[in-house]
Amino acid sequence: MATTSLDVNNVLVSCESVWKIFGENSAEAMKAVVERGLTKKQILQDYSCVVGVSDVNLEVRRGEIFCIMGLSGSGKSTLIRLLNKLITPSSGKVLVKGRELSSLNAAELRAVRARQIGMVFQSVALLPHRTVLENTAFGLEVQGVPKAERLKVAEAALTKVGLADWTKRYPDELSGGMQQRVGLARALAADPEIILMDEPFSALDPLIRRQLQDEFRQLTKELGKSAVFITHDLDEAIRLGDRIAIMKDGMIIQVGTAEEIVLNPADDYVAEFVAGISRLHLVKANSVMTPVALYKAAHPNVDVSRLPTTPPDADLDHIIGLAVANDRDAIAVMDAGVITGVITMRDLLRGVQGTANEYAHPVDQALAEVSS
Amino acid sequence: MNVENFPGSFDSTVDAGLEWLSDNGSGLFDAVNDVLKGIYESLLWLFNLPPYYVVAMLIALLGWRLAGPRFAVAALIGMLFCAFIGLWPETMSTLALVVAATLMALLVAIPLGVVAGLLPVLDRMVEPTLDMIQTMPPYIYLLPAIALLGYGTGTALIATFIVALPPAFRLTSLGIRMTPNEFIELGNASGVTGWQMFLKIRLPFAMPSIMAGINQSLMMAFGMVVIAGIVGSGGLGETIYGAIRTLDIAKSINGAIAIVILTMVLDRLAQSAAAAYEGKRP
Repeated sequence: MATTSLDVNNVLVSCESVWKIFGENSAEAMKAVVERGLTKKQILQDYSCVVGVSDVNLEVRRGEIFCIMGLSGSGKSTLIRLLNKLITPSSGKVLVKGRELSSLNAAELRAVRARQIGMVFQSVALLPHRTVLENTAFGLEVQGVPKAERLKVAEAALTKVGLADWTKRYPDELSGGMQQRVGLARALAADPEIILMDEPFSALDPLIRRQLQDEFRQLTKELGKSAVFITHDLDEAIRLGDRIAIMKDGMIIQVGTAEEIVLNPADDYVAEFVAGISRLHLVKANSVMTPVALYKAAHPNVDVSRLPTTPPDADLDHIIGLAVANDRDAIAVMDAGVITGVITMRDLLRGVQGTANEYAHPVDQALAEVSS
Repeated sequence: MNVENFPGSFDSTVDAGLEWLSDNGSGLFDAVNDVLKGIYESLLWLFNLPPYYVVAMLIALLGWRLAGPRFAVAALIGMLFCAFIGLWPETMSTLALVVAATLMALLVAIPLGVVAGLLPVLDRMVEPTLDMIQTMPPYIYLLPAIALLGYGTGTALIATFIVALPPAFRLTSLGIRMTPNEFIELGNASGVTGWQMFLKIRLPFAMPSIMAGINQSLMMAFGMVVIAGIVGSGGLGETIYGAIRTLDIAKSINGAIAIVILTMVLDRLAQSAAAAYEGKRP
């Protein structure tokens, strides 16, 4: 962990055993945790302090959308506020582009918040007495950018989120979805590298939410931004996140891609969470296939090279389509011109159920690396 | 010390204290008196500069802009009525008294309220004093003032100033304290300085509360200015007080009507100004 976090170019934000304990005796409680390793429950009993975030390590890499998924009370909102020091950690380090936040003075911290880390809130927090355009320009106004220039930048940001015609309106004239777009435009106008999204779409209705998720993902990728996205909705995390961290009781219990988490949940809690998630678009061919040698051994009379083929990153939906169209009960996985495995009907059905093939796979290796 | 003698000795201590103050601070109190009178007299001069119908028209015009045509007509009729019953000069001195005392009160209460809104410690220190000011009968403030400043406008102004202080202070402090947390977070996450947080976030959210405070202070000042007739404040208060002493019922009722008209007109103007501020957008 320590060596990778020095790689400033690729890791934009990192947390190193970060703790946040709330309460009047939080300093003593923190000390007790370090010295005696008290549990959350003991801390509440002995110090009447609440553990918000407990020993979190994470890295947000350049260009990725990092989702933090957890139910209410899991500490996710606290965690995201530690990343721009709206909340000061009780212990541990938070680094933004290699600089530790707690080592910055007030002016330096303001500069980091103004230029490097933007934030979008669940409540949107648009100033009611300002127009949409003036709200969008708020960050630049704070930085002292001249009026004409900041309004121009704000207008461009509003165009990006599709609100170019609404600049002169006031927040209460906009729908919830539009308000949230203004919130995003406001964060984008200051052109930060990292955007913190604190459950921005939770209060929106499902259709608008999906639309905004797609737009957000597209915009973030297009502009080359990195984002930390908080959500209590696993579907949202899967749609948006390049990587997902699952939080419970202030701890991160698993980090990985959606496929890794669905196929190999770290514990029963995660397993229960992912139980209802459709695997069709998540699970890829190379996670469910039987290695070609094993298949040949079991089916000596099948000519593997005559099977319909699929690339290794095709999803289950695609493979089912292939199997139906060709009326075959086996599909070969072709990676760079070489057949690496075969997907049988049994593999396919297990994949839909959410179980990886039991014979060693890249996913398992990746997971082994992550957890080590 | 004998218990029976206590009231007497307490009284004489207070008397001695006041006497000492007026002996040793006479220069100071004369200066205060002069300043107060100066403010009052400049305002009065200003209000008496144009003829009564012009002032009435100006008030009606302002009412038109802030509260609409119906109020403008009502205000015009009301103000002209004050002139026709022969109480125009008194009405103007009352207006000058109220405006002078309220302005002074706001000048102290709003900045202090802002600081108290930001520093809860100060708020906790000042609150008991304000409670005391608001629970005591208002004419109490006339007594020390008359002892130090003498019979006249200065005393009336000081007493009115004291009574007008609490509402503006309280509501300013409340407004500054009540900034929604999400906007504080927005400010911090955007990298605002302390000043920017105050000017761009706290103050705009506090404005409606501050406006309500200004209006309430104005109303308190009106109440006090009538009572201050007892100490020779001039204006309608003194007219009513004099009429009551000579049992001139008709005149006292005229004075009361003029006070009611003036109060209603100013109250509506202040309320409409606050509403216009909040709704200055379409």
